[in-house]
Amino acid sequence: MSIDWPNFWALLQLPFMQRAIWGSLILGTTGGLLGSLVVLRQLSFFGDALGHSALLGISLGLLLGLSPQWTLLPFSLLLGLVIMVLLSRAKLWPDAMLNIVYSTSLALAVIILSFIDQYKGGLSNFLFGDILAIQPSQLYANALLLVVCLGALGLTLRQQMLLTLNRAFAQIQGVPVERYQIMTVMLLSLVVALSIQMIGVLLVSAFLVIPPCTARLLSDRFTLYVPLSIGLGGASALIGVLLSALLDLPSGPTIVLVQFMAFLGAMVLPRSRSSARA
Amino acid sequence: MQSENLLLSVEGLSVRRGNMTAVQDVSFSLAAGVDMAIVGPNGAGKSTLVQAILGLLPHHQGEIKWFGQRLHAPSSSSQQRAARLFHQGVAYLPQNFLVDARIPMTVGELVGLGWDRAGLQLPWQGWRDRRRAVHQALDRVEASHLSRQSLGSLSGGELKRVLLAYCLVRPRQLLVLDEAPAGLDFSGEAEFYQLLGKLKREQGWSILQISHDLDMVRENCDCVLCINRRLLKQGAPTDVLHPDTLYEAYGYEAYGQPQLRWRA
Repeated sequence: MSIDWPNFWALLQLPFMQRAIWGSLILGTTGGLLGSLVVLRQLSFFGDALGHSALLGISLGLLLGLSPQWTLLPFSLLLGLVIMVLLSRAKLWPDAMLNIVYSTSLALAVIILSFIDQYKGGLSNFLFGDILAIQPSQLYANALLLVVCLGALGLTLRQQMLLTLNRAFAQIQGVPVERYQIMTVMLLSLVVALSIQMIGVLLVSAFLVIPPCTARLLSDRFTLYVPLSIGLGGASALIGVLLSALLDLPSGPTIVLVQFMAFLGAMVLPRSRSSARA
Repeated sequence: MQSENLLLSVEGLSVRRGNMTAVQDVSFSLAAGVDMAIVGPNGAGKSTLVQAILGLLPHHQGEIKWFGQRLHAPSSSSQQRAARLFHQGVAYLPQNFLVDARIPMTVGELVGLGWDRAGLQLPWQGWRDRRRAVHQALDRVEASHLSRQSLGSLSGGELKRVLLAYCLVRPRQLLVLDEAPAGLDFSGEAEFYQLLGKLKREQGWSILQISHDLDMVRENCDCVLCINRRLLKQGAPTDVLHPDTLYEAYGYEAYGQPQLRWRA
């Protein structure tokens, strides 16, 4: 595989490429930030289920003759709330419950899409996404979401830490536990909905899971783990999108592979857990 | 008991769990600096009572007051203020504090969370004061050396000491213990109570503790509630830990079993 450096530099100057770089950086940072809580609260499968179910939101939009980006957001928010209620009411295992929700959503989505012939070609875009096709409006929406996540999680981080460790301790200390849980799920729904068009329903959860897991391997301190997760999320997305441009590879999957390489690096790093704790 | 000294008062409290009434019409009050024990057989509703007082479980009847102000259904601003003061003034040590070793948190970070007050704040806000308070609290429980250690790597005894540091990292009025020394061996339990007694004297804490150890209750507590879903008797340990009350609470079959540790 030969690298055409002059072409690569020229490519970086193009507006769509610059949007893709900013988009991936924002998306990776948001994923690392929100994912740091999502992983510890064991909500990663929740995010995965939201991602898979999003196809139903997209297909409903197409059925109604609306742009999927208008139906996806409210659908994901609503679905997030519905799943929360289902998990608290039905006395079933969370992973089984989530499986039921996303399998049913996927089945419905595929049936709806079978009636919309002209859309079949665009399906792979939603399965794998395309960061290079990001529009300025999507970039601004993602930047706004990052600011919202930073504000919401930054101002509540210490209470979120206590809630993550022990719900009863948080309640007794006056932390509005249910409000914070709803907030986390709403942010998760928003991030999944907005990032699907860039990375697709199949890879969206990688952004929420891999950087935080890498950060966890590298740190035993919560206050270091969160910034590490943010940094790893942003850096791996940036490196991934540049590599994809350099090597002419699909962007989303390249970013995920970079995230995985960082994870692998943290796994094999010569650092014993017991000595790290001492 | 003078009402102005009252920290906590519980009036006619009833708690349902499913279709069953787990606690029925329990009333008592706790004054500042008093060490009160709740005793009763397994399934008597002791933990349910404590969790309802703390707001962890809903109650369907009765009132809980903190310094005379009603809690857990705050509608007026004075009640909201009482709720805030309650959250600031109470700490709870549960029977089993399970630590998920996968959560990245050091001892110092946990104790620091006890220093925080509820409400929005930047993560680094007050870090100097927090760090000083954490250092002092860990020092008092002789656990300064554990400060950077991960919670998941602590022994049972170390974890109990660290949780006591979490409680004393800022001034509180009431400590609620639900069989807190559970899981410790004989000497670990003795050490825990020794440390608790020392801290209680230093901090002027009131203590509300569930215990099965009637010897400990007799030696350390100022008053006792004996419950079996409803309040059977309350008063000084010598009055409450009387054979008649214990028979009523635990039943004749249980009488004499070693775990009661009952001494006539």
